[in-house]
Amino acid sequence: MTPFNWHTELGREGHRVLVAGQPFAMHCHHYNINLQMTLEETLGDDGVMLLFRSAEEAAYHNFRYLIAQYRQLKTYKSRLEMASILFQSCGLGILYFLNATPDSGAISSPASHFVTGWLAKHGRRHTPGCHFSRGWIAGVMEATFDRPLGHFRVSETQCKLKQDKECLFEARSAPDTESETR
Amino acid sequence: MAIDGSKIVHAVMEGSRIRESKGIIPLFGVYLSIISVSYYNRLSFDLEKLMGPQRSAEAQQLLVHAAQECGYATFQGIRNSWEWAEIVAPMIETTEDQIKGFTAVAVAFGWGDLEVVDIIPRERLVIRVTDSYEARGYHAEYGTAPAGKCYMLRGVTGAFMDLLYGGDYPDGCLSFSAEETHCRAKGDPYCEFIATKSPDHTEPSAAGPGR
Repeated sequence: MTPFNWHTELGREGHRVLVAGQPFAMHCHHYNINLQMTLEETLGDDGVMLLFRSAEEAAYHNFRYLIAQYRQLKTYKSRLEMASILFQSCGLGILYFLNATPDSGAISSPASHFVTGWLAKHGRRHTPGCHFSRGWIAGVMEATFDRPLGHFRVSETQCKLKQDKECLFEARSAPDTESETR
Repeated sequence: MAIDGSKIVHAVMEGSRIRESKGIIPLFGVYLSIISVSYYNRLSFDLEKLMGPQRSAEAQQLLVHAAQECGYATFQGIRNSWEWAEIVAPMIETTEDQIKGFTAVAVAFGWGDLEVVDIIPRERLVIRVTDSYEARGYHAEYGTAPAGKCYMLRGVTGAFMDLLYGGDYPDGCLSFSAEETHCRAKGDPYCEFIATKSPDHTEPSAAGPGR
């Protein structure tokens, strides 16, 4: 069992909200989904990539910082367990890391903030829509396995927004050349 | 009775520690998330960059509108929530106190140290912020900005006036619009937002029901 203690990690410094000492903000599904829709409609694939990269970078830096704070978490398994707790504690939903290695991983999500929020505002869609979760997964896996940003490409093979039973993600290490240009 | 922001901060911090079995935080009538500010800043500032200097005004307008529409729906949910009825409503004495309640919730959410500087009912709202995460994030990443960069707070300032004076929900969104007259990202000592009626705003019917 990971010693990660969410209750002590969520705090404030005056008007700032901090998680493990880093600046966070609370936003509701209206804003998160509005931003996603704006980016998808305005920039298409570039917007989807921006959603992915922004989540990846934020998660990567936050999680590297957390790993440094919790040096007693030496195994990959315990670090990914901390990632799942963090995801859930931030109100982002449930994530299970299955068979995660430095080169690949399968991840399932039976519930998430972005699915609940999208469904509440817009209902079903025909394409997978969990770009934030894909990026977040890539970032924490890169931090966990001490790989550089851009190491993992994460695809969503099933999505609850398309009426699948749960969201399923596949992580694969990107070819080196691609990783350098991302 | 003045709005006691500390009570609202306390309620948000306690409520945000409680999540249902699916890892979702239902609080103040919305689903709440806690995400790094760097995520939001990267989205905003890279959207501007990707759209290029030719479409910079369009990018800014998209971001402000996304925030204003969100603020309008969000704070409508918030002011109809049981938490608002229990914690905030007893402190409200005037219509304008609602805006002070809204800003106290925004402070609790970690958006910055919002302060209501001036309200002229139905006409004008001025909000000042000395530590906006948007301005701080822009300045840290890119240096001094050529123009205001707090698109979320700008949209939200307009949304506050929409909710109070824009007519019945959901028809009042974008009745007001806000400008960012000062921004720390461009070297000003604070960020300041002034919301006034949108140029194409039509006054809601005087005979219609108001809040």
